[in-house]
Amino acid sequence: MADVATAAAAIQMAGWEKPIGAAIAFAAGAIGTAWAQSRIGSAGAGTIAEKPETSSSIIILEAIPETLVILGFVVASMIIIMI
Amino acid sequence: MDYGYINARIRGMHSRLFDRKAYDALIIRQDIPSIITELEKTPYKKEIEEANILYSGITAIEYALRKNLVNTYRKILGLVQGELAEKYIVIFLNRWDVQNIKTILRGKKIHASQDEIKECLIPAGELDEATLNELLKQPDVRAVVDLLATWEQPYALPLTDYIDEYSENRDLVILEYALDKYYYQKALEAAKGKSTEEKIVRRLIRREIDANNIKSVIRIINDNVDWDDAKNLFLEGGLRIDLERFEKMIESGNLESALKYLDGTPYYFLSYLPPEALASGRISVFEKELDSYIISNNTGTFRLDPLSIGVIIGYIWAKYSEIINIRIIARCKHAGVSDEDLEAELIHV
Repeated sequence: MADVATAAAAIQMAGWEKPIGAAIAFAAGAIGTAWAQSRIGSAGAGTIAEKPETSSSIIILEAIPETLVILGFVVASMIIIMI
Repeated sequence: MDYGYINARIRGMHSRLFDRKAYDALIIRQDIPSIITELEKTPYKKEIEEANILYSGITAIEYALRKNLVNTYRKILGLVQGELAEKYIVIFLNRWDVQNIKTILRGKKIHASQDEIKECLIPAGELDEATLNELLKQPDVRAVVDLLATWEQPYALPLTDYIDEYSENRDLVILEYALDKYYYQKALEAAKGKSTEEKIVRRLIRREIDANNIKSVIRIINDNVDWDDAKNLFLEGGLRIDLERFEKMIESGNLESALKYLDGTPYYFLSYLPPEALASGRISVFEKELDSYIISNNTGTFRLDPLSIGVIIGYIWAKYSEIINIRIIARCKHAGVSDEDLEAELIHV
């Protein structure tokens, strides 16, 4: 009887831990990206104001931190699908 | 404060400063009109074109350089307006106010014409061109001080304190020293905290105070001023030159012995100048070396933390040294100085 109760509890815990874990993985990536893009964005705006010819490089630099949120998304997906 | 935007703009501006190639392009020019043509290909184009309408020759170059420096510093002030850094940048730009007031006072003392004095003014500080023009219209030194007091300008405080002493002695050094003392005291007060910005600003200001004290020592020894009068010229707050060292240097009696007291300080290079410079006793040689040291030291702050006030301060000084170098090139070409001698005069940062 006790074994059945323990197994049920374990199933219930796995039920909420997975989405929370996935959410943390995704949110941390998103926050990291937001912070990096805000800093790169302000510096990039300053650079473009003085040297408009650098705009294409700045757009690429601005997009690089997107990898963080994509990585967070991948980890979140793996948590939900594989665990 | 977000230095990202401001420092990125400053770095963009810094990338347009003259490099060795640009200086060489000016140095190989043989006369003033060809230097003007060369400058028209640089970021000075707008100011040179404006100057060409009003003046010609070396006067046009001088006008364009002054105008460009003022425009650049006003742009920087606009960028930091309302930000924490404004307080510290204003300290460095206020030096131009002090310089301009000194120039006007000197001009008024020797009864120079308004136009002559105006040519020497650089309205890059908080006192704008209109304010300086009003000061220029005053008939004498006392009237200039009175007008500053009427406007409740902070610089009127030290001047009104010492104007009576000046009236008795007719020695402008009294007023100039009062202005310097007031400026440095205010600067140190504004940067007395423990933040990174304040540490950077304080170190630069204290080093400048040292340089001014050393210049005072050299002048005092050259003019044989006795210690009772000389001690009044000491500026407090320096990094390495305290009153004790200042006294020892002056009491040593001659330039060579005085400069030996600088061993172990960052200013030791003065005692290793060529013997002929020491023998000649030419103050300008020592002043130039000290100015070069201060400029290259302050310009070095550009390479500190890329997200600090050092980038802005470094640029302010780098721009100043560029203007000085272009002036040197133009003046030397005007006077027919050889390229080797011209190169020796340039400030390398």
